[in-house]
Amino acid sequence: MDNRRATRPPQEDAVLRKEQNELVTHTGPGTPMGQLFRSYWIPALLAEELPENECPPLRVKILSERLLAFRDTQGKYGLIDEFCAHRGVSLWFGRNEENGLRCPYHGWKYDVTGQCIDVPSEAAESGFCQKIKLKNYPLVKVGPVLWTYMGPPEKQPPLPEWEFALVPESHSFMSKRWQEANWLQALEGGIDSSHVSFLHSGDLESDPLFKGAKGNKYNLGDTRPVFEVVESEGGLLIGARRNAEEGKYYWRITPWVMPCFTMVPPRGDHPVHGHFWIPIDDENCWAWSFDYHVTRPLTETERSAMREGKGIHAATIPGTNFIPTANKTNDYLMDREAQKAGRTYSGVEGIAIQDSSLQESMGPIVDRTKENLVSTDNGIIMARHRLIRAAKALADKGVTPPGVNPAHQHVRSASVVLPPDQPFKEGAKEALTVQKGVGHASV
Amino acid sequence: MLSESARMTTAEEAKFRISAPNSKPRAIKVIALDQRSEAVVKKLAEGEWNKASFFTSVTFESPPQAGADWSMKAWLNDLAGRTIKLMDEVDTADLVVMVASAGEKAEAASVIGEACAAKRVQTTALILDRKSASDDALSNTLLHLRPFASMLVVADDDDYIESMLVALRA
Repeated sequence: MDNRRATRPPQEDAVLRKEQNELVTHTGPGTPMGQLFRSYWIPALLAEELPENECPPLRVKILSERLLAFRDTQGKYGLIDEFCAHRGVSLWFGRNEENGLRCPYHGWKYDVTGQCIDVPSEAAESGFCQKIKLKNYPLVKVGPVLWTYMGPPEKQPPLPEWEFALVPESHSFMSKRWQEANWLQALEGGIDSSHVSFLHSGDLESDPLFKGAKGNKYNLGDTRPVFEVVESEGGLLIGARRNAEEGKYYWRITPWVMPCFTMVPPRGDHPVHGHFWIPIDDENCWAWSFDYHVTRPLTETERSAMREGKGIHAATIPGTNFIPTANKTNDYLMDREAQKAGRTYSGVEGIAIQDSSLQESMGPIVDRTKENLVSTDNGIIMARHRLIRAAKALADKGVTPPGVNPAHQHVRSASVVLPPDQPFKEGAKEALTVQKGVGHASV
Repeated sequence: MLSESARMTTAEEAKFRISAPNSKPRAIKVIALDQRSEAVVKKLAEGEWNKASFFTSVTFESPPQAGADWSMKAWLNDLAGRTIKLMDEVDTADLVVMVASAGEKAEAASVIGEACAAKRVQTTALILDRKSASDDALSNTLLHLRPFASMLVVADDDDYIESMLVALRA
């Protein structure tokens, strides 16, 4: 029997209705998803971008807010409103001197909390400058990253406890690149494991950060994996299952922790990697990419490959704000010959740019009402479902979203071989949880 | 001069994306495999759907025989209590969604799976109410579903299935 009822209006028939698409893609102040993002510590800068005390300040735009980061005379980090409270001049031109940032226009000076500490035109005893304070957010170094929390101070969670940020710095590598697309387009690429067999198929046996692992044999031997999506406390676990020996399954398990953390399953003894996708504004995001190894320092060969844009990293143009060398202005260095010859599947080289080229081609914010999702897109469907549910629960009832609790951050990706009847979430339970000093479960 | 990609990826250009429909409604058959799932499916069926059909139970004469394309007689029951041949429904399906409760045996999955394989119809399995079942009980459900589901979702709450069907334009 067909239970067809009255045909829905076109918007109702959409995969994701226009207002739902806006809800999940808009992250500016006052928006539900913006409020959700403001529940977490999120990456703001690479620590190396503020390398020393009194170094030049940096413009930082996150969640559609224009901010300025600086490191004062004593090494304290500040993230404040970019513009001077006096006449709206950008403090990027400011002088970083004697424990504060001085506006070059009329000399107003601010400390790392945004408090105005000097207004030269006013008598000090007038107390005028104490009445001036720029909006500020905490900026804290954990591992190779300066993190910020942009939500209500009374709800500030404990500092982030992601494993990559807690291993010795010799064991980890972090890069970032500018992506000209809404954050969700980029995140959904990280959740959508099914594109790997196509878009990135040329890289498995050639990239120095992937090749040689035993698991590659399973990948290449079975190009039609079966996917399983399982809810976890912090978000999702997405398992890709392939046949292994003796009736067992080879699993590659990707965790997604809300709102924007994903981790790629490891290969052999290679470092393990993952991402954050942080909204710059609604049409741009930072693609943060990390690699780390729990039990050993990264080798110089590995670091050098990462700097050159191998693995999940991208080479960027020196002197720019982390704009990839291959970008939309040069058509991502599209190589039709390589595409035809099968050296790369799409004609674009490198995993990061293969992803960004396609995600940017969708437009700044893709119209999801025109999508035709299929059952292998369940990871994406579930992620949207959980994001919308969490944003509404936070907005309506003040419910703390998944992923804020540091325990939710103690996750790992894994590649394991399991018996055929075992739920991977339970069978790989230890492998999917951080265990101090123990390496990743990797095939 | 701007590159092709730089010119064509702006918000302005996105407005010129053709607005004509790019797909036809897909026939999605949603089948409950146990009593608890039956209640979920019945509730779902009260909503407005394009081309989704809902079935509450499966009956069959014998388990599938290995190697046979289609080895048994099997029937579905619809919401009105009518009995319909499984093969007829699968024949007109674009996707079959099997709904099972965590801890249930889901034995009918093999029958549905065999019919879908014979007709080359994609299957998705949804396990609901994960939190109420032990790991061993869930293993039992998985054992029956995995060979016959090309996509499997284990959800904590019942409301996911509606989101999934809407996303699939059911």
